[in-house]
Amino acid sequence: MIALQEITKQYDGIRAVAELTVNVQEGRICGFLGPNGAGKTTTLRMLMNIIQPDSGSILFDGSAQRPAARFIGYLPEERGLYQKITVFETLQYFAHLRSVADSARKIREYLDRFDLGERRSSKVNELSKGNQQKLQFINTILHDPQYVVLDEPFSGLDPVNQLLLKEILEEMKQAGKTIIFSSHQMDQVEKICDDVVLIDKGLLVLSGKLDEIKQAYGDVLLQVKPESPADLEQPFFSQHGAEIRDGSAFIQLKARDKRQLIAEANQLFDIRTIKVAEPGLEDIFIQQVRGAQQ
Amino acid sequence: MNVFKIAWFEYRRRIRSKWFIIGTFGMPILIMGISLGAGYMAGSGAGLETKHFGLIDETAYFGQQLRQVLDTEYADEATPPMDLAVTEGSFDAVHAQFDTLVNDKTLEGYFVIPTDFREHPNVRLYARTSSNFRLTDIIQSDLKDILIKQKAAEYDLPDDVLTELFASVHIDHYEVGSTEEQQTGELVADYIAPFVFMFLLFLGIFTGGQLLLRAVLEERSSRVIEVLLSTVSYNDLMGGKIIGLGMLGLTQSAIYLIVGAIAGHYYDLAIVTPIIGLLYFVYFTLGYLLYAGIYIGVGALFDSEQEAQQAIQIITFIAVIPMILWTIVIENPNSTLVNVLSYIPPVTPFFMMIKIALHETTAFQVITTILLLGISVFGSIKLAAKIFRTGILLYGKRITLPEIIRWIRA
Repeated sequence: MIALQEITKQYDGIRAVAELTVNVQEGRICGFLGPNGAGKTTTLRMLMNIIQPDSGSILFDGSAQRPAARFIGYLPEERGLYQKITVFETLQYFAHLRSVADSARKIREYLDRFDLGERRSSKVNELSKGNQQKLQFINTILHDPQYVVLDEPFSGLDPVNQLLLKEILEEMKQAGKTIIFSSHQMDQVEKICDDVVLIDKGLLVLSGKLDEIKQAYGDVLLQVKPESPADLEQPFFSQHGAEIRDGSAFIQLKARDKRQLIAEANQLFDIRTIKVAEPGLEDIFIQQVRGAQQ
Repeated sequence: MNVFKIAWFEYRRRIRSKWFIIGTFGMPILIMGISLGAGYMAGSGAGLETKHFGLIDETAYFGQQLRQVLDTEYADEATPPMDLAVTEGSFDAVHAQFDTLVNDKTLEGYFVIPTDFREHPNVRLYARTSSNFRLTDIIQSDLKDILIKQKAAEYDLPDDVLTELFASVHIDHYEVGSTEEQQTGELVADYIAPFVFMFLLFLGIFTGGQLLLRAVLEERSSRVIEVLLSTVSYNDLMGGKIIGLGMLGLTQSAIYLIVGAIAGHYYDLAIVTPIIGLLYFVYFTLGYLLYAGIYIGVGALFDSEQEAQQAIQIITFIAVIPMILWTIVIENPNSTLVNVLSYIPPVTPFFMMIKIALHETTAFQVITTILLLGISVFGSIKLAAKIFRTGILLYGKRITLPEIIRWIRA
């Protein structure tokens, strides 16, 4: 488990992170969310011991001693690689710094898995941006770290490789690794994360299990799509305060009787589709950040 | 030890690069080529020209004498330094013609030997420019000889006595304790070797410094720095770079010194002695570490190489001082100026290396300058570490001097 306990960091008197307390459980993936400038990167850098908090402590499995580099994998948001050395030399150098045993075999395996096997002798600057991104991810996990910290891991990856990344993260979770992962892509966070931490202006806005947050903060909606778009003008929708978008009407269910609403709609117009929509993390995110700012 | 892993990585990737090989072997070839080319040009007379001067001789004697002496003196030269057009007569009568010739650039200028030259040996020169020092020296020396010969002739001395009186003086060079006369090659080597040592030191230190600057900028601009810092400590990263690139500079110097020692052995010249070699490496290491701190500190502050190079220019300017003053140091190695400069850390290694190669230093000077450099290195690296720690992750931000001072004080 990684525990951040009341960590604070200021730059020139400006608060970047303030008394932030977060626990990340072993064998779970924790999504770290927040708008630009919220303090995510500062927090992750403190976690990685790249910068020191002004106060507070960071514990790894209860110990204030930071684990050795071979136990942590970090993919920073501002990432890059040496451009003029080969793919293999890049991975070999970092493996060497992390004292990885049998590194050549592991490098070959990962390169093959990420479809980069034939590019092992290519210089990094000869790779496409997407392939460089894959190489950076391999470098983050090659040493089989216990703690994995990923800052915007999906940016720049095509859907096929996003799927591969998800598979690997799932495998790591099954293997009991502790994974922290920041992203602006809410759909990815919803699909992958078990827990969510939302910060804004350096302050914790909310944190907890994804399901519980959705239940506690999100509104369940009834999504109704009439056969004829003209029916979206029906008084039925305005009476129930529906929001019209993308050819559908969204009615907040709250205490309303779902069956009664469906029956009523059915009598008034032809329905093409009707379904109960789960609250979106993006909506919760926007709602909570706005709430916090007000 | 990560510091050595980083050092080996930096050393290995650069020593295999074609630029290192071209730089190491190409630079001496280029310098030697330029020197030999310049020597050939000077020897061949290319680049020289005969300057045309006039001479108004009011004595009706010295002018022709001077002309004869000059003709004899430069009879074998394809391009004599001067062509003298002698006119006998008074200055008042002919100077207007000469002025015209000077103004229309037919002549560079003209000399006037006045009537009373024998009693008051002053010659006047009217010229467009005052940059004729070499030619005025020739005229001065030759006229002096003519005057002495004329006066000696009045005593009716025999020719052999005159020859004896005008015998040239030669200086033969011997090393202390040696009975063998030194050859010209040895003398040139004695003069040039201190410069070569200083130049190699300069080359090695600043090549290493530039590589260090580029290495830090590369990691900063490619953003690989953050992955590195999540893997190794700041001190290991900075230390590894300094050691790796310093080893590269040492390798380069070792190649040059070995080549120098072999060449010296071949020509029977003791240029690279073990003590000079040892002290070279001591001053190289300390000088490199002193500048390494500066280069790494600057590298951590800028996003682009162009900005960093501009900031480093002032440092390079200071370091060029020994390159400008080397002849003074060689001719006056124990003057107060040279001794004071030897204790100014940024230039200490260069001045000390010249003095050591000239065998013109003391154990006290060597020990005290090494101690002074050691203290300076400690300060330089400590400051660099503070700047590196804070500045290296501040991408895209223009860092001000007050900020840097605040980091150093923190």
